[in-house]
Amino acid sequence: MTVKKLEKAAFDKWVSACITSQRVFGVQAKEDRFVFAPLANAADLRLDYDVTILPPKKYFQPPRETLLKFDRNEGFESVFDNQPFVLFGVHPYDMVAISQTDKLFSQEHCDTHYVNRREKATIVACDVQNASKDVFAGCMGTATVNDGFDILITKIDNDYLVDIRSEKGQALAETIKDAEDADDISLKLRKLVWADNAELLQKHKLNVRPDVLPKLLGRSYEHPVWKEKSERCYSCGSCNLVCPTCYCFDVRDDVEWNLQKGERYRVWDGCLLAEFAVVAGKHNFRANRADRYRHRYYRKGKYVPEKIGEVACVGCGRCITACTANIANPVEVYNKLVDEGK
Amino acid sequence: MSKLKVAFFDFACCEGCQLQVYNLEEEIIDLLELVEPVEWREAMSDQSDDYDVAIIEGSITRIEDEQRLKAIREKAQVLIALGACATTGGVNNLKNNFDMQDVKECVYGKDANMPHLDTYPTKAVNEVVKVDYMIPGCPINIKEFSYIVRCLALGKEPKIPDYAVCVECKMKENVCRFEYGEICLGPITRAGCDAKCPSSGMWCFGCRGFVDNPNVNAAKDVMAEYGKTHDDLRGKMLLFGSKQEFE
Repeated sequence: MTVKKLEKAAFDKWVSACITSQRVFGVQAKEDRFVFAPLANAADLRLDYDVTILPPKKYFQPPRETLLKFDRNEGFESVFDNQPFVLFGVHPYDMVAISQTDKLFSQEHCDTHYVNRREKATIVACDVQNASKDVFAGCMGTATVNDGFDILITKIDNDYLVDIRSEKGQALAETIKDAEDADDISLKLRKLVWADNAELLQKHKLNVRPDVLPKLLGRSYEHPVWKEKSERCYSCGSCNLVCPTCYCFDVRDDVEWNLQKGERYRVWDGCLLAEFAVVAGKHNFRANRADRYRHRYYRKGKYVPEKIGEVACVGCGRCITACTANIANPVEVYNKLVDEGK
Repeated sequence: MSKLKVAFFDFACCEGCQLQVYNLEEEIIDLLELVEPVEWREAMSDQSDDYDVAIIEGSITRIEDEQRLKAIREKAQVLIALGACATTGGVNNLKNNFDMQDVKECVYGKDANMPHLDTYPTKAVNEVVKVDYMIPGCPINIKEFSYIVRCLALGKEPKIPDYAVCVECKMKENVCRFEYGEICLGPITRAGCDAKCPSSGMWCFGCRGFVDNPNVNAAKDVMAEYGKTHDDLRGKMLLFGSKQEFE
């Protein structure tokens, strides 16, 4: 596939053309932070963002999603959102998270609601221009990304390199197909951006290779860190909710006033929440804060890797920022396990 | 199916939670398909002793309130506490931080000791009688109220959240109030309000009361990291949380 090089004005024109022809969600400012939101103007797109409050998972698995509508006499019908959309500005670490979730939701029992939305999406990734205060993607091997997206944008000085990688990407880039191809110097500069980002996106330094985490956790189940840290845990689930690889949900039903028709929907859940592991008979498999606190690290560093062969923490640092009690830093916890295991 | 007979009773409160039920507007007609109100002071003149469900609004602050509430409990099959005053004591709890005689003198001046003005420290409804369901909030979330009514009509156990406001706040992608250096009670307060206050640029006031197992010690510990003191936290918790554990 090809890499195009666009000046700022031409780039904005292309974004405008995308907005005209497609349903586009792009990164924009919200107060002092950034969010993915419906994009109305190219000028609102902020590819210089550091990190969004929520990851783009909200477009594949919305916080609240209707799964089916039912009639108590006539059965049910599944509900799907079939409108194609474009996500503009997905950072590499979030792209890696999406690719992981793709595997998890299509493994074994295929989640048709997730897969349907995912297939409808065109993803325009972009290399990071400004590191957020807590990012550690450089330690997790996710500061750059080489697959999963349809287009990758890299800003080089005042130009944008538009790397088109798929048929969906080609379709979206139809209006710039006659733009000049990126020259060798630009492509070399892009490699420098990638090398720099791998270094710069390390605001916290992990003292262990990520692929060693499953083994490290294998011997740390009784480590005192779980209890120590969890004493300050609110069980508010913020670390889960902002995590690009957390995908747990709760399924609920509600009826209309006629008590006849209704819907089944799912909402985001989180393993830190007190009731997460409550089952029938009200037994709670993880009633203690420490058990729930520990579970998140095992999920990211051991259980999911055992399923898909990749560590399920992409180093976005959102959990660190979102935890008001300041106990959710995975780097700090994993380093502690390394230091005290020696 | 015969309709459930429902009576609303108000105690010490502003009756704003009843008002939320009118705010259903055209949906009131749907509500009336399911239930038959037999007493509802803000909506009708009728009174009745024949009801299945008693909805109690307000907190209990006088001995005669207590007697009236117990009589209602005797008659009702199901008793629901409606709103912050009924479920936690609400803002009426503020007076519990002071000496009762001082409170009476402050409010009633020279009439402080008149017998009809005699009040005792505020109680939530469940401190006096058994409560079957709680609908928290100041005011209640009318969507939650509607959901609970439908559950009862279906014979299904309604579920109110036992997780923090942070959950709903994160789902709305609000900038955390702590990032603005504010003390927000979201991390210890029961969700179900759709994070209304943080979504409108205010911190959470804690009107829905605590989650079942709030980590108040964590809340105190965390204050220093934001350059705040325990007293700052207590100040925020007083409005709705006076009766809840701080120490």
